[in-house]
Amino acid sequence: MSMKNPLILTPVFLLVVLFAGCGGDDQDQASGKMVRYLSLGAKVRGMDPMDIGDTTSSSVASQIFESLYQYHYLKRPYELIPCLAEDFPTVSEDQLTYTFKLRPGVVFADDPCFTATQGKGRQLVAADFIYAWKRIADVKNISKNWWIFEDHIVGLDEFRDYTGRLKAGENVDYMRPVEGLQAPDDFTLVVTLKRPWPQILYLLAHLPTAPVAREAVQYYGKSIHNHPVGTGPYMLKDWKRGNKIVMVRNPRFRQEFYPVEGSPGDREAGLLEDAGKVLPFVDEARWQVVEEDQPRWLIFMRGQLDASGIPKDFYNRAIDPSRQLRSEMKDKGIRLQIFRDPSTYWYGFNMEDPVVGTNKPLRQAMSMAINRPEYVEIFTNNRAEVAQGVIPPLFKEYDPEVINPNCQYNPERARELLKEAVEVHGGPLPTITISTPGTDTLSRQMGEYVTLAMDNIGLKVKIDYMDWPSFQDRIKTKSSQVFQMGWVADYPDPENFMQLFYSKNVSPGPNNFNYRNQAFDTLYEKAKAMPDSNERRRIYHQMENIIRDDCPAIFLVHGVAFVLHYNWLKNYKPHVFGYGLIKYQRIDVAARQKSVGR
Amino acid sequence: MVSYIIRRLLYAIPTILGVLLITFILFNLIPGDPSYDIAGKSASAETIAEIRRELGFDKPRFLDTEALSQGRIAAAFDSQFFNHFRNTLTLNFPRSLTSHEPIWDEIKSRAPASLTLAAPMFIGLIATSIAIALVVAFARGSWVDTILVFICVVGMSIPMLSYILFGQHYLAYELGWFPILGYESGMQAFKYIALPCLLGIASGLGSYVRFYRTVMLDEMRSDYVRTAFAKGLSSPRVLFKHVLKNAMIPIITTLVLSIPFLFLGSLLLERFFSIPGMGSYFLDAFNSRDFPVINAMVFTTSLLYVLGQLVTDICYALVDPRISLR
Repeated sequence: MSMKNPLILTPVFLLVVLFAGCGGDDQDQASGKMVRYLSLGAKVRGMDPMDIGDTTSSSVASQIFESLYQYHYLKRPYELIPCLAEDFPTVSEDQLTYTFKLRPGVVFADDPCFTATQGKGRQLVAADFIYAWKRIADVKNISKNWWIFEDHIVGLDEFRDYTGRLKAGENVDYMRPVEGLQAPDDFTLVVTLKRPWPQILYLLAHLPTAPVAREAVQYYGKSIHNHPVGTGPYMLKDWKRGNKIVMVRNPRFRQEFYPVEGSPGDREAGLLEDAGKVLPFVDEARWQVVEEDQPRWLIFMRGQLDASGIPKDFYNRAIDPSRQLRSEMKDKGIRLQIFRDPSTYWYGFNMEDPVVGTNKPLRQAMSMAINRPEYVEIFTNNRAEVAQGVIPPLFKEYDPEVINPNCQYNPERARELLKEAVEVHGGPLPTITISTPGTDTLSRQMGEYVTLAMDNIGLKVKIDYMDWPSFQDRIKTKSSQVFQMGWVADYPDPENFMQLFYSKNVSPGPNNFNYRNQAFDTLYEKAKAMPDSNERRRIYHQMENIIRDDCPAIFLVHGVAFVLHYNWLKNYKPHVFGYGLIKYQRIDVAARQKSVGR
Repeated sequence: MVSYIIRRLLYAIPTILGVLLITFILFNLIPGDPSYDIAGKSASAETIAEIRRELGFDKPRFLDTEALSQGRIAAAFDSQFFNHFRNTLTLNFPRSLTSHEPIWDEIKSRAPASLTLAAPMFIGLIATSIAIALVVAFARGSWVDTILVFICVVGMSIPMLSYILFGQHYLAYELGWFPILGYESGMQAFKYIALPCLLGIASGLGSYVRFYRTVMLDEMRSDYVRTAFAKGLSSPRVLFKHVLKNAMIPIITTLVLSIPFLFLGSLLLERFFSIPGMGSYFLDAFNSRDFPVINAMVFTTSLLYVLGQLVTDICYALVDPRISLR
């Protein structure tokens, strides 16, 4: 080995590296092609609807797969419209039988899995839904989405039990009938429920309930999550795991049109300029995985992304103190959209904990010790609203008139309550441990803030920082005392929040508070089976009042999202429940080229 | 030499088995059950129990003593530990719990990206730091030595993250010399790894130069160097022909033992520059308690490390005639 080699190589290597890098950004020249550039804050795990439970994978796979229903793109409050269904279902008088008619002329995208038709996608039929839902029920598939159907459809739980009884290596018989899932003809799907389930249509707008072609599952086997074959407007062209995803138009997408009506203000905002035009507009969608804030912000500012959120550290560069977009951002052609999230964040109490679970004055005192407006300002750049309960303002069941005394900053009253808490406890209170799912700077700052707030009323707390799996383990095994958490609704029905307090859902189910209240349970069971009405709304208010009074959580804030987008991205309206939205959006290619040269 | 290699390979067996045991124990000590994540956020207790059963998490940890007492030997060893042991030793790694991809496929697709970044960065770092160390050693005691050592200490004190944030903002975004992020395979890769590579070299130079400077200075004080100068040899000849050759032992040690870790990638660089390598794969696996992935990665790295040690010993014998492998 020549000893001089490394020294000779050094400048050569550096030159190679520098010259290689001199090209600057290498975004493809779109040359007239309408390309939508997006980023992903996390990696896509897979694109099999059965197994999709995270928002990242949903946001991508929803461009390929469709469900029976979808959300209207423009209307607020959010409302459902038919997607693969021809219309809304016919519902029997006892609310137990739903008959869905499928939209004719819907075909799966062309794919080699359709061997019988030499790769040409076949007609969508009702049996495809039954097959897809049985796959979710099949224990062997370890689906993330069994919660959607569990204990709802006649015979489906029995089908799941059957799959669970099979030994390793035995095949599941998907032809085995399920009484509650029938397809009398190719375009009719009849679903029979065990009990009324008014939320069913929201769930049937959920991506995991999308139909799947049996041919695709059989052809791709265990790799089906890499080969999505759907009926939607786009098809997967390229997927480099952990790096990028490219989708192109599905040439066999059914005829769908841009909405002709929207919410007040939409016409003025130019959101109805394409009313009645055939969808989709964009030829290609490209996602880049960007897990860190700085690079995501930089590529957005460079014009390599069409839209972006605002990372906390860059907030002041984009937004001025009056919550308006700064002029230098406007000069770049950037627009700001502010909208409410269907989310609520809290510090929850483990009601089975012998200290906090049995001591209501203690829980109330802790809740009153936190100055929420200050918390919102410090930790969210004012991108949140103070919570008075669990239902977020986005829901029509939210009552803006209600002021929850437990959510008002009142250290004097908190100190009085703490004295009561000492009496209830039968002696001095021990140090309370708060479990926090994060070890980063922000989590620690929040921890410091809460420690100080509690110290201010004379209560000692210890913050236990941990990663998400450790946190989950602590919650699900009921071993936490107080925990920091939140919930983002899956659909616009308060039932999605109320289930978190239902006694039959205690940990490891979604009721992490391990809250039990007979009156609440009775109301929950009643409201859950009721269609939307004033009566149901009244019951939800009653339920929320019970929670406010019992104080199983320190309700903190509801999320408010700030999104920036360039003016070349047309028809852009944020939507908090729908995912398959790229089909509505359009790129003004000339404006983009003029602005950033591509 | 052959008998030495065989002996070393045999020694590696208990090491690898120990690694497997420790990995399993550690993973069982760390709280976190992937079943919760797999089951979904609204899953019932029954669903979570079913998933645990399907994944085999309900099996005994080490030994099914009940089955053993009943004389069912095969059933007794159907435990989490023995299944883990058997699968690893037969290289029958299950699929990832989160992505459902075969682990080897993921490793094969990600390792090239990590190596594309780490290999030139490593070679560049070693070559540059040796070159600077030689200059510093040659100019020992002078103002050049003082300034360079000062710069090295300053460089070592700056966290890697600062280099990344600065480089990405100013060199890529403000000046536009490099792409801000991204990765393509093939020759295109060099365009994307250029900046992370330079930042990796810049952040590592301080510690490497100081280490090699010490090594070089030790050699410079040797009798043979004085003899060489006394014989009238030029400084470059003494440095490159004699000092560098004799300094190769510690250099080889750092070099070869670092190679297995190149496979693991550079977590921060990969995350900030969106390079789909092994670093982020390993971190994601740990954060989601994806035990099959962590096990496969630890097993592969430990295997490479053991082999790396063997190669180091062989290299010693090749560069130093005083060393013989028996």
